[in-house]
Amino acid sequence: MSTQESGKQGLWATLRKPSAKYSLLGLLVIGFFGGIIFWGGFNTSMEATNTMRFCIGCHEMKDNVYEEYKYTIHYSNRTGVRASCSDCHVPKDWTNKIIRKIQASQEVWGKLTGVIDTKEKFEAHRLVMAEREWARMKATNSIECRNCHDFDAMSPELQKKTPYKKHMEAKKEGKTCIECHQGIAHKLPKGFKKPGTEEEEE
Amino acid sequence: MKHLTLAAAVAAISITGFAAPALALDVEAAKGLAEQNNCMQCHGLRKDKDGPSFLTIADKYRGKAGAADEVVKHMTSGKKVKLADGSQEDHKVAKTIPPNDAAQLKNLAAYILSIQAK
Repeated sequence: MSTQESGKQGLWATLRKPSAKYSLLGLLVIGFFGGIIFWGGFNTSMEATNTMRFCIGCHEMKDNVYEEYKYTIHYSNRTGVRASCSDCHVPKDWTNKIIRKIQASQEVWGKLTGVIDTKEKFEAHRLVMAEREWARMKATNSIECRNCHDFDAMSPELQKKTPYKKHMEAKKEGKTCIECHQGIAHKLPKGFKKPGTEEEEE
Repeated sequence: MKHLTLAAAVAAISITGFAAPALALDVEAAKGLAEQNNCMQCHGLRKDKDGPSFLTIADKYRGKAGAADEVVKHMTSGKKVKLADGSQEDHKVAKTIPPNDAAQLKNLAAYILSIQAK
């Protein structure tokens, strides 16, 4: 048996051996508080990546989508309720949030390789990125929108007649928010036409 | 001599059209702004929907002075409009990025007014 193998066995054997020095209560208390610190730290770090400050830490976001978003109703409105980046782009529930965060790690690679590091590159990729995000939102039945908006909570008295009519039609047809509200907080990609509004030839 | 120079300058301006430069219509930008504001949900290009088509609007204003300003006012004042079913509703206020960009709004108005019957 090599020295390395015997070393591995030694470590495993030590881990498996009951403690002769520390009490079970002591180990449980250490494990309990250690777990709290680890879990708290993990979630705090996760929440830190959900802040607007984090999102616009990259100039790609700050100079493009953030600039546009600042002039939309989700940033500034009559009642002062703001939907920040993560409110629309990251699901609230833990499992979907983790899935989204893992997917988003691909964006770090994009940052490192400079895929959208100039305005021109961003515009060239805008349609691809937008369509990817719209597809994700459609697949989740616009889960982030529905944290605040609900067809059933729309008042026919308070909502304008035309939007109310269109919302009720959408509900009946089983449509989801993003199918009509693309570009609600950002500029639409150049040349993009919303489905259902195709026009006759000019 | 002074008068001659002035006359030549005026003539040159008239010939080149420099005296009244009209901003070129940017059709793609106008269409983009219309999409961004969901105009086409209620207006067709040549087909009336809940609201009149762009062609109907163009026909209404054709040949009238200050038509573009009127259309911009209509898009931005949120005034009451009559829908196809006879009911009334506040017209949506068109938004631009950056806000209230007169050039973008005038370009959209010019595009609407440029629509011709096929």
